[in-house]
Amino acid sequence: MRFLALTAIALLAACGEPAQDNEQAAANRSGDTAQAASSTVAAAAAKPLARDAALKLMHQRHEDMEKIGDATKAVSRTLKTDSPDLAVIRSSAATMAKLAPQVPSWFPPGTGPDVGKTEAKAQIWQKPQDFAAKSRAFRDAAAAFDAAARSGDMAAIKARFADLGKSCKACHDLYREEH
Amino acid sequence: MKAPVWDLPTRLFHWLLVALVGFSWWSAENGEIDLHVWSGLAIMALLVFRLLWGIFGASTARFANFVRGPRALSAYLRDMKGWRPIGHTPLGALSVLAMLAAIAAQVGLGLFSVDDDGLSEGPLAHLVSLDAAEKAADLHDAWFDVVLVLVLVHVAAILFFRLFLGKKLTGPMITGKAELEPGIEPLRPAKWWAALLCLIAAVAFTRWIVAGAPPFGG
Repeated sequence: MRFLALTAIALLAACGEPAQDNEQAAANRSGDTAQAASSTVAAAAAKPLARDAALKLMHQRHEDMEKIGDATKAVSRTLKTDSPDLAVIRSSAATMAKLAPQVPSWFPPGTGPDVGKTEAKAQIWQKPQDFAAKSRAFRDAAAAFDAAARSGDMAAIKARFADLGKSCKACHDLYREEH
Repeated sequence: MKAPVWDLPTRLFHWLLVALVGFSWWSAENGEIDLHVWSGLAIMALLVFRLLWGIFGASTARFANFVRGPRALSAYLRDMKGWRPIGHTPLGALSVLAMLAAIAAQVGLGLFSVDDDGLSEGPLAHLVSLDAAEKAADLHDAWFDVVLVLVLVHVAAILFFRLFLGKKLTGPMITGKAELEPGIEPLRPAKWWAALLCLIAAVAFTRWIVAGAPPFGG
């Protein structure tokens, strides 16, 4: 009983010091592929963020997800034309390949629907391993699409873009709230 | 004596519309975007059919017969129990027009919408800018509340007729028949092949939209 109380006090005290968590999040955000893989574990082990830090992260998460969405729309749109614009495809693919490895670091504990307005479902933190696996699948699909975009092979670009879309949907279907 | 008041095409239109609006709602809420797009296109085909059936259909389906002016409306509102003819009442006609217009607007917005992920879009979304397609999607999202309110008003009106005017309206929309008082003009049905032609035209129009409305798009 006393142990529980002490633990609770320790946790509460920790909540008052968001600086460390911010650094962690910032480090993860700038992380490359290798860092992101380990950050999934780090995020799962980390203690919940303080409210301010959490809301800030959630806002940035939304902005970054929108960037990925905008990139997808740009690619989808140009692929529908008779002569797809390779420059648009390449810059969009680069944006996605840069952001995709960061996704796991965008979902530390304490950034769920109980904290603030978000479409992220609580299931993300109930099934961390499945969520991590789906994030990795997205990261890999984004990298493969980026490679195809660099090669300029239109058939490969279309195929990898379809795969990428499926990896978005696989995660969104389970872990994003439809409004 | 029971006599026909709603012909089969009108009833089929009505209940298919109920089912598809419900299905569109469900598919939107559950992220089934591809099914949602097809459901919306099916609704468009239904609406086009209904517009044509409002011109060439049976007497109670024709707009010219049931859309009335303000004088007929105020006369009806003064004496609702005294209304005898079959078909839509002057007030019900406004409800029908409002629902048709609201659902048509909803379908129209959907045609130009792109989803959040950029993975699916309406068949005409590529004709407008991405910004406009996103705006259309936001409006499409918000406008459904208008559709819902009109449907609720419609259902409330049916309950009102049942509870306060002693008229059962749901049965006739299923069976097509209702008690007809002596001296009331009966239903003038339309030819079956007219319904077929309207259906063909509606499907053809929808296919043209699905193709991206060539030669303007597609």
